[in-house]
Amino acid sequence: MDATSHITLASLAQQVLVGLSRTTILFIVSSGLSLILGVLRIPNLSHGSLYMIGAFVTYSAAVFIGGSTGFWLALIIAPAVVALLSLAVERGLLRFLYDREHLMLLLFTFALTLVFGDLVKLIWGSDYRSLTAPPLLQGSFDLAGLPFPRYNLFLLLLGPLVALGLWLLTNKTKIGKLAKAAAVDREMVAAMGINVSWVFAAVFCIGCFLAGLGGALVAPTQNITQGMDHTIIMEAFLIVIIGGLGNMWGALLGALIFGLTDAIGILVWPQFAIVFPYVAVVVVLVFRPKGLLQSTW
Amino acid sequence: MKKCTLLVVGLVAALALLVGATAALAKPFKIGMVDCYSGPPSTYTNDVRDALLLAVKKINAAGGINGRKVEVLTRDSKFKVDLGLAAAKELIMREEVDILVGTINSALALAISDLAAREKIPFFVTFSKSAKISGAKGHRYVFQISENTAMIGKAAAEGLAKLPYKKYWIAGDDYEYGHAVAQGIWDYLKKIKPDVKLLGQSWWKVGEPDFTPYITAILAAKPDAVIVATGGRDCVPFLKAAQATGFNKKVPFFMHTATELATIRPLGANAPEGVIGTSNYHFYYPNTKANKAFVAEFQKAYGRLPTVGALYGYITAQLIAGGYKKAGKVDTEAFINAVEGMVVPSPVGPVKLRAYDHQALLPMYLGVTKKVPMYKFFIGGDLVTIAPENAAPPVEAIKKARGK
Amino acid sequence: MLENIKNHRGLWVVAGLALLLAFWPSLVPRFYVYLVSLMLVTGLLATSLNLVLGFGGLYQFHHAVFYGVGAYGAALMIKWSGLSPWWGLLVGPLAAALLSLVIGIICVRLSQLYYGMLQISLGSLVWAIVFRWYSFTGGDDGIHGIAVPGAIASVSGAYWFTLAVTAACLLVMYLVINSPFGRVLMATRDNSERAEMIGVHLIGHQLIALVIAGFFGGVAGVLFVVVEGSVFPDMMFWTLSLEILVMCLLGGWFTFMGPMLGAAMMVGLRTVVGIYTEYWTLVLGVILMLLIFFLPQGVLGFIGAKRTPAMAHSRRED
Repeated sequence: MDATSHITLASLAQQVLVGLSRTTILFIVSSGLSLILGVLRIPNLSHGSLYMIGAFVTYSAAVFIGGSTGFWLALIIAPAVVALLSLAVERGLLRFLYDREHLMLLLFTFALTLVFGDLVKLIWGSDYRSLTAPPLLQGSFDLAGLPFPRYNLFLLLLGPLVALGLWLLTNKTKIGKLAKAAAVDREMVAAMGINVSWVFAAVFCIGCFLAGLGGALVAPTQNITQGMDHTIIMEAFLIVIIGGLGNMWGALLGALIFGLTDAIGILVWPQFAIVFPYVAVVVVLVFRPKGLLQSTW
Repeated sequence: MKKCTLLVVGLVAALALLVGATAALAKPFKIGMVDCYSGPPSTYTNDVRDALLLAVKKINAAGGINGRKVEVLTRDSKFKVDLGLAAAKELIMREEVDILVGTINSALALAISDLAAREKIPFFVTFSKSAKISGAKGHRYVFQISENTAMIGKAAAEGLAKLPYKKYWIAGDDYEYGHAVAQGIWDYLKKIKPDVKLLGQSWWKVGEPDFTPYITAILAAKPDAVIVATGGRDCVPFLKAAQATGFNKKVPFFMHTATELATIRPLGANAPEGVIGTSNYHFYYPNTKANKAFVAEFQKAYGRLPTVGALYGYITAQLIAGGYKKAGKVDTEAFINAVEGMVVPSPVGPVKLRAYDHQALLPMYLGVTKKVPMYKFFIGGDLVTIAPENAAPPVEAIKKARGK
Repeated sequence: MLENIKNHRGLWVVAGLALLLAFWPSLVPRFYVYLVSLMLVTGLLATSLNLVLGFGGLYQFHHAVFYGVGAYGAALMIKWSGLSPWWGLLVGPLAAALLSLVIGIICVRLSQLYYGMLQISLGSLVWAIVFRWYSFTGGDDGIHGIAVPGAIASVSGAYWFTLAVTAACLLVMYLVINSPFGRVLMATRDNSERAEMIGVHLIGHQLIALVIAGFFGGVAGVLFVVVEGSVFPDMMFWTLSLEILVMCLLGGWFTFMGPMLGAAMMVGLRTVVGIYTEYWTLVLGVILMLLIFFLPQGVLGFIGAKRTPAMAHSRRED
């Protein structure tokens, strides 16, 4: 019963690649959370719910349009729907609460998760939903004798693209620069005659868009159900914390740590894979109490 | 002062309302159902409830239970033990139900079972697979209608022993159900076929987001066959990952409920083929008049095909109605005496409630997932019936588990 | 409210409630006796959390772990030791206090969200152990039918015991908060730098507060065992911790009795609304939102407090 005897270089490489594709999803979701935490200082518990809504909308849109076009369009529609929903929430409710204490914001976003959870149940019912990837991304190809799913390769390629897009957004666009400035000193930005309120709205929207995108991307690999918000929100928060609050690259690093410890843990010590992420967090925070990279807090 | 008084008055008024609402009305026969009706488990539990409601409607049309109209009260446990337990107490103490029915969550089923023993209220377990319910922790007031992990293990081992595989890998959900199913299968398999070898095991957390790393790790070990002890919400994503990696084509694997409608339907035309599975019920098998009538009736009422939960709900209703009819009065002890050993008709043929451990003895069907032109989803093909007496552990084993 | 208890109208409310609770089992059917027992247990748990949350300013995100350890400590002691079950009731809170000390030592250097997330991770490790250790803890099935001492096993027996223990614990916590120690603790919450500057041993005070909170959380866990006769790993899952946090904020986290009220409201709400609709979380969510908008200090904060701590007013200083 020695589980490690069959580990070869090929299976290790395989496992790393699989872990990296999981990292993509974790990064996309947690970078959105980190953005909102960094700029707006909102510990957004409803981020997981928005991820779930993203997955459900993807399912409905893909089925409604049909075919593989349906899937590709849904990948754009779903995050957009989530972003619109978040804009409504931000303008309608959240913006009146910005001067409240952290915990009150946490409580408010908790209330949002309760409402979103039941709304999903009202709209989509409680059956499992399952979405099939378009034929191009179905099946797997051979990698040194072991199968590697095409969809995972797609995620693997998408990850760096999203990271690049986010870097461009935060460093090269006006809204990105304003958001960065507002994260450090919002009074300063307001003094420059800029409407901070709308900067906040935009940032919140972008962050939630990323949650929706994450949900859309996992839709073909999972069954889409209520409760999928629970698992992801915890992971996303832990990733953001070990990476450094509000730091985009920190989110990437945290997602890498999570994705890889999990995948390699499964290969090396499958019986205890369940505790690896928590141990990783404890180790990081004991040695680097403010996360690995510079936090904006 | 005003605000304080307001608060106290409000609290007292709310409580008074609550108390007042329970004031005695004309007393119907009450069945209380506690189960998880939100989130992933409700795929299974909704059918239990709906089939039971359908049967109750017929019972009421025929004059109810001993002349009393049957009323069904449902409470959502949200898969939380504390909520479910409080709801069960509310049903017993406030609604004064005559019978309790539920639940898919084993921890909650065991907690309510303990409560039922203290309160002397019959409790019918309709989806939990824990073998402790009718086994080690069984008692006079608890009844298990669904198959349990010991039965799954025995039935699956019977089927797997006939196949030529020797080197196995075990993988599953890292919780009681997964471990119990795996243990059950392995113990019996080893007994029937002593030369089987276990290469290794992997256990994932419930709700695991991505099975690909587990599958590649298993493939790297090159087993002859794999026993996948996963249940509920993880079945569908595991089958998806199996399809994406071609796992089923490389290594045959067994998964309880793989051929079951609730598991296979969401995958539509994109399910993995040739997965070995077991289930208590298929709407297309056995192809008997009773089953066809049951399916037609369920479909007419709810516009969907019945899954295995519907069978459990139906049998529960039959046992309740039959037991009280035989007892001739609404009396718990007389009911239990009457229902022990009772045989009721069902879509899968007559089902007996074993007198000693209160376990319903259902046949198990073993088959492989198969694509057919008739449906938009896969079905169980090459079905073999494993008779109830071969699936259920013998009474001696139950006695031993209870320390007698 | 803190101040209110000392003056007359506060006293009247407390006396009225005490009188009502004292005669409760003879006034109502036993379900309501059970319901109030549950409110008291949950309320004690929330109050113990608030000791460090509201009065200590620590983001204790995973307090339920002490509740669970208290309950499991009692259950396992009763199940395995063969001693009188009363010993189990004593062991539970001590185990929780010890765990609180250990987790506290690791976490206390961190602040705010970092503290909270590290605490969640450590608590989740404890949860994972309980969840996985089938042979000892019963795994995810939990332990049921725990042999509670006969004198307090019935619904009303459990009620009297819960009421007496809860009242005693509340009194002790009230005294702690109003002691010099309590004032220093609040000073560390309002301005930790200044407190340290005038010579307060910050970490020492916070650790003592954590151990006290863990202990009373454990007491609540033991009371849960008395009331329900069951333990299960859900009791130390992080979602429950979030719920207790909500209770504190809902009732008023800068007041002493706020968490108790918040707990009573949550337990009552889910029972009452749950009878009528499956969608009670939606109702709860909407009610929470309304409260956040209109009663930012929580229900009791709104009713009682004139003096609010610095923390509530000043936007979080970074």
